[in-house]
Amino acid sequence: MVRFVKKPYIIVNIVLAGVIVMIMIYSAIFSPDENEYPIVCVHEKITGEPCVSCGLSHSFSLILRGRLNEAYSWNVYGMRVFLFFVLQLIMRVFFSFFYIKFIDTRKQLIIMDIIGSVLLFLISFRQFFFYIFQYC
Amino acid sequence: MEEEATNKTGQNLGIAALITAIITFVFAVIPCVGLMAIIPGIIAIVLASVGLSHAARTDSPRGILIAGLIIGIVATMISFSQVFVAGKIAQKADKWPDVIEDVVNDVQKDILEDLEDANISIKIENGDESVEISTSVNKKELVETLEELEGEEDSTAVDTPEQE
Repeated sequence: MVRFVKKPYIIVNIVLAGVIVMIMIYSAIFSPDENEYPIVCVHEKITGEPCVSCGLSHSFSLILRGRLNEAYSWNVYGMRVFLFFVLQLIMRVFFSFFYIKFIDTRKQLIIMDIIGSVLLFLISFRQFFFYIFQYC
Repeated sequence: MEEEATNKTGQNLGIAALITAIITFVFAVIPCVGLMAIIPGIIAIVLASVGLSHAARTDSPRGILIAGLIIGIVATMISFSQVFVAGKIAQKADKWPDVIEDVVNDVQKDILEDLEDANISIKIENGDESVEISTSVNKKELVETLEELEGEEDSTAVDTPEQE
């Protein structure tokens, strides 16, 4: 088991899963009712206008607390982005398991992971891309 | 033994670069934190570059390093592009006071045009006594009234010394 942990793919998966768990912990710790989030929108600070991702932290916290309607009102795309992170967490666990279990199909597994993750990312974050590139 | 250690250094740098680049990429497309993602993006590029130079010396595999470098560069570019996005939005926001002023002026003009021929009548009643003030916002009539009042004032001013 230890020798598998030393494989680059497994290390990348563990670290990414850790980052996603940290995002979940961040959303769980900070209460949406108290509004004390340490991350402020840089865009809003510069332009004075709220951007497409404003309210994402509130949205995540509310989703974790099961208040989906409120989460939707804070950020329309919050649920989509949250699902991306949840799916990525599940994918990291499963793909690591399959990587260790099926030694012969490792290359195909990594390719599948890359394609799947890129597609999922583009679907979940497409509105943010549109927002950025409409001004470029 | 030494070569294996150098290979490991290169691989570790590659893993670090790839992880940093992926995280940077995800955060770079979120406008709220996109600008801040420039810093980890540069770190990813530096890590990948150092790793590549290591790999070139030791002839070790470069797959992860190249992936980290490419993702890092793209993420940094997206993050950097947000400077222009913020600039464009700020520029647009600067024009808004002028637009609002134009709208207010248009509304004022429309209201004045609508009221041009309107007559205003105010009636105050107190028991049997009643006072009625009628006026118009018609420019011509207002000018005439003003001239009449000025004429009355002049005659009073002329009359005053005689009375004394």
